Amino acid sequence: MKKKLVALGMASVMAASLAACGSSSGSSTAASTSAADDTAAQEQTAAPAADTQAAETTESTAEGSNLSASLTLWTYPVGSWGDSATVDSLISDFNAKYPGISVTVEYLDYTNGDDQVNTAIEGGQAPDLVLEGPERLVANWGAKGLMVDLSDLMSEDSASDLYDSIRSACTASDGKVYEYPLCMVAHCMAINRNMFEKADALQYLDEETHTWNSTEDFLKAVQAVYDSGQTDVAAVYCAGQGGDQGTRALVNNMYGGTFTNADHTAYTVSSDENNKALADLYAQDGINFDASLVGGDEINLFRQGVLAMSLCWNASQQNNTDNNDAGLTNDGDTILPMSFPTSSGDAKLCGGIWGFGIFDNGDENKIAAAKTFIDFMCNDETEASKAVLAAGFFPVHQNMGNVYVGTDTADTMQMFTDYFMPKMGDYYQVTPGWAEARTAWWNMLQSIGTGSDIPTETANFDTTANAALAAATS
Amino acid sequence: MQTAQPQRSKVLVRRETRSAYLFLLPSLFFFIGFVVVPMILCVATSFFDSTMGKDTADTFIGFANYVELWKDPIFLRALRNTFVIVVVSVPVTCVFSLWVSSAIYQMPGKLLSFFRIVFYLPVITGSVAVTVVWKWMFNNYYGIFNYVGTGLGLIQQRINWLGDEKYALGCIILILLTTSVGQPIVLYVSALGNVDASLIEAAQVDGATDLQVFWKIKWPNIMPTTLYILVITTINSFQCFALIQLLTSGGPNHSTDTVMYYIYYTTFKLYRYGYANAMGVMLAIFIAILSAVQFRFARER
Amino acid sequence: MEKDNKRHDVHHMSAYRVVCLVVLLILAFLFLFPLYWIVTGAFKTAKEVNSVTPVWWPTQWTLTNFQKLFSRQQAPLWEIHLPFSSSFSGTGNAIVITAGPEVPAAIRWMVNTVFMAVAAMVLTCATATMAGYALAKKRFRGQALLFSLIVAAMALPKQVILIPLIRQMSAMKLYNTIWAVIFPTVGWPFGVFLMKQFSESVPTEMLEAARIDGAGEWKTFTDVVIPMVKPGIGALAIFTFISSWNDYFMQLIMLSSTSNLTISLGIAKLQAENATDFGLIMAGAALAAVPILTVFLIFQKYFTQGIAMGAVKG
Repeated sequence: MKKKLVALGMASVMAASLAACGSSSGSSTAASTSAADDTAAQEQTAAPAADTQAAETTESTAEGSNLSASLTLWTYPVGSWGDSATVDSLISDFNAKYPGISVTVEYLDYTNGDDQVNTAIEGGQAPDLVLEGPERLVANWGAKGLMVDLSDLMSEDSASDLYDSIRSACTASDGKVYEYPLCMVAHCMAINRNMFEKADALQYLDEETHTWNSTEDFLKAVQAVYDSGQTDVAAVYCAGQGGDQGTRALVNNMYGGTFTNADHTAYTVSSDENNKALADLYAQDGINFDASLVGGDEINLFRQGVLAMSLCWNASQQNNTDNNDAGLTNDGDTILPMSFPTSSGDAKLCGGIWGFGIFDNGDENKIAAAKTFIDFMCNDETEASKAVLAAGFFPVHQNMGNVYVGTDTADTMQMFTDYFMPKMGDYYQVTPGWAEARTAWWNMLQSIGTGSDIPTETANFDTTANAALAAATS
Repeated sequence: MQTAQPQRSKVLVRRETRSAYLFLLPSLFFFIGFVVVPMILCVATSFFDSTMGKDTADTFIGFANYVELWKDPIFLRALRNTFVIVVVSVPVTCVFSLWVSSAIYQMPGKLLSFFRIVFYLPVITGSVAVTVVWKWMFNNYYGIFNYVGTGLGLIQQRINWLGDEKYALGCIILILLTTSVGQPIVLYVSALGNVDASLIEAAQVDGATDLQVFWKIKWPNIMPTTLYILVITTINSFQCFALIQLLTSGGPNHSTDTVMYYIYYTTFKLYRYGYANAMGVMLAIFIAILSAVQFRFARER
Repeated sequence: MEKDNKRHDVHHMSAYRVVCLVVLLILAFLFLFPLYWIVTGAFKTAKEVNSVTPVWWPTQWTLTNFQKLFSRQQAPLWEIHLPFSSSFSGTGNAIVITAGPEVPAAIRWMVNTVFMAVAAMVLTCATATMAGYALAKKRFRGQALLFSLIVAAMALPKQVILIPLIRQMSAMKLYNTIWAVIFPTVGWPFGVFLMKQFSESVPTEMLEAARIDGAGEWKTFTDVVIPMVKPGIGALAIFTFISSWNDYFMQLIMLSSTSNLTISLGIAKLQAENATDFGLIMAGAALAAVPILTVFLIFQKYFTQGIAMGAVKG
């Protein structure tokens, strides 16, 4: 019962929109999510860095510089945190201040990364530090008792300006903190503007606000693009879990379904809204349920001009310059980021939060050193902005300001701040049993893609996921 | 095995046993240490509700995992797929490599080497590297099979080879075949080359057809090679894991799950160690029976 | 070998042979294709390698992919953990010997892979030959039991003991060292089975004769048994080398640091990390394939002979 109450409180806090949180506390209700306006977002960017923060860092330097340990850090590819050149530079900044702590970095990927960490846990060589989101750090490894409680870091002054919703996403239902956040983003989708223009499908959306007129118009647009000869419009990719936030957000938003209930005590995929969304997607020309793709493949196909739409997009993707200038496909078509389609006009974007967690390897010295590292990367006056920039996402400190001012990506980031970040919805990825539910999700999409009965499959999903939830909370 | 020996003194027996174990010692160290002991632990854990995590103590649940196995449609499907892969790939590998070998073994040296190398290439290149290319070849949107197939009019529209239940397992088996015929071909070429030519000539003088020559003379001569190939191909087919992990992750809809992959999946995606171990024990029993049958069959020959 | 003993029906035969040759050439193309695609892909520009319509031949050869591959992480050329050394090193940590300059990790993966395959091969051949001989030629207590155990475990996939094996390697401080891959391979009893079959062909009289001449157990083994089972050792060596070279699973579960990876694992990692950079993956694959292929082509004769030895007596 107590657990339930805590969860309830947590959920109501999280339901508040991020931007709205900039000025008010967690007392706002879910309804205020859509009420977020531009002013709130600007408020947060204008605020100066708190003096206390700077004081705190110097203090920790004095007590921590004689720490000596050798740490391993495993990073998932969170923007350039998956790129050794960038990370090496961040580490050398750290070492300039803490020469006694050496950090060895391993780079994980989203295809095999989880398995790699899981085997290492069994092999007794879990990394000291790991960089990922609460769905892994809190809901999975944290819930299994493998992570160190970071409540002490969270109660420091330097953490006082973290968004409440972020803070609660990093906190398990028992109040322990298993992740210290670094950055965040709202995941969205994107379209190939040239293809839509050619198909005369731009009429179904508002380019200015990056929204679809309605779910109906979204489907009409897909049909128009399909009819124009671009028969591959979008792919409901489901070969694995990679990028599944996109498929989840699409299905949930279309008719206002949810993935879990508001207090995160049950998975609620088998609702009429979700069933209808899945049925419409399955029936729609140009949308394939593709069991040979994961999110990364889909992005690749979108960039190559094979697909007209990507469901797996965010600010970092929009700024990617690997194959062409930012915001362009490989062939030079314009990429237009979009919210997910809704019938109510109130899209709830799936949030992404990234931060550090510490695996409990039983070595107090290492844990202390790892905490120093986290504090430096996430809270240091100059380094924290650099660490956020490396990720290509947004800061979680309200007082950090706009870290992108003066960079090449400033305009794009401002656009995301204005039109996407305020729409960030409930961070339900911390619901217990998440890892299992996630696996069940792509399995369910595969079944639906091969023609299985949709209500049966979504009901099966709920049964499986709720069983995992029950097992995790018992 | 061993011819019966006249009664020996106890000292001799003891001395022989001792020397036998000295010879066996290095091998037993590895065999017991890294196969037998883990296997025993595997059997033990299969009776527990074991999972990942620090604070969770394992509960003894008797045969519950085993009972659940036979009600788990995915396990049954994986079992069937494993069976299909072995039953299809082992004979096809043998027949295919025998055919290729018969066709090339009398070719001029250079041509023979060429073919032998070509069929051996996928083995040398390494299964992962080859798989990466095959994945591209099977791609739904720009893979070469769809490109050439639709270009030549062989297929009406694109086929999502790896994303379609109808084709995915077939594709896996096809790739498995290309990576497993290399060694049998080399073996057969050499075995066929070693068949006494005078025997063949004599038969041909007597008017035997090619088919008769093959069945009456060549086949019995290459029998030991065939048995060896059967054994190594069976082992290889059971080890078919990389292909599945890299190409389909068992999908779509578990249509390419093998028991081996499903064990891995149950372990690291569902965190059900006890259940995965029960699966392992069942698989081990099946394979032990299969090996025993194969061995008996081989011994009778 | 290619004696022409076809005296009859020349026309029929040649027609059949032409058909055969055509089919073989088509098959050869299919088998050659992956390697061709890897090698050309490694030198294509990003645009060409990602092109939706296949670009059959690079219009402009580029080294960018290799530069990218080599500019990734670095690792010492050579690093070896002494197995079980943690128990006597005093510090509780394994003794690690490092040598050579810092090189791109991809080069190190090759070194690891070669070491792994060679060590597995040598250890397997040595232990299996001894054990096979004992099983075939000696009579001892527990023989039947041991032999049945070996037959039963021979085809056992390693996935069966996934978790116990990882935990055991962890307990022995071998996890994330190349030994965690090598030791289970050596323990797999197929080699013992094979060598037992070969040892059976050694005439017991020869062993008796050696004994009467005063040769000890070991001398009998090295001077009489080994020369007679050499073909078996050759076959086993190549079988072990190839299967550990291609065995992705054990590497996947046992190795985690970048510097400890094998080339197969490295390529799989490249693929998972860089779905958008097919050129980089092809460069990695080419790096894996070309050296071993060259070695294979040079020693082709010995190699095929080695494999074929298994065919003489199976």
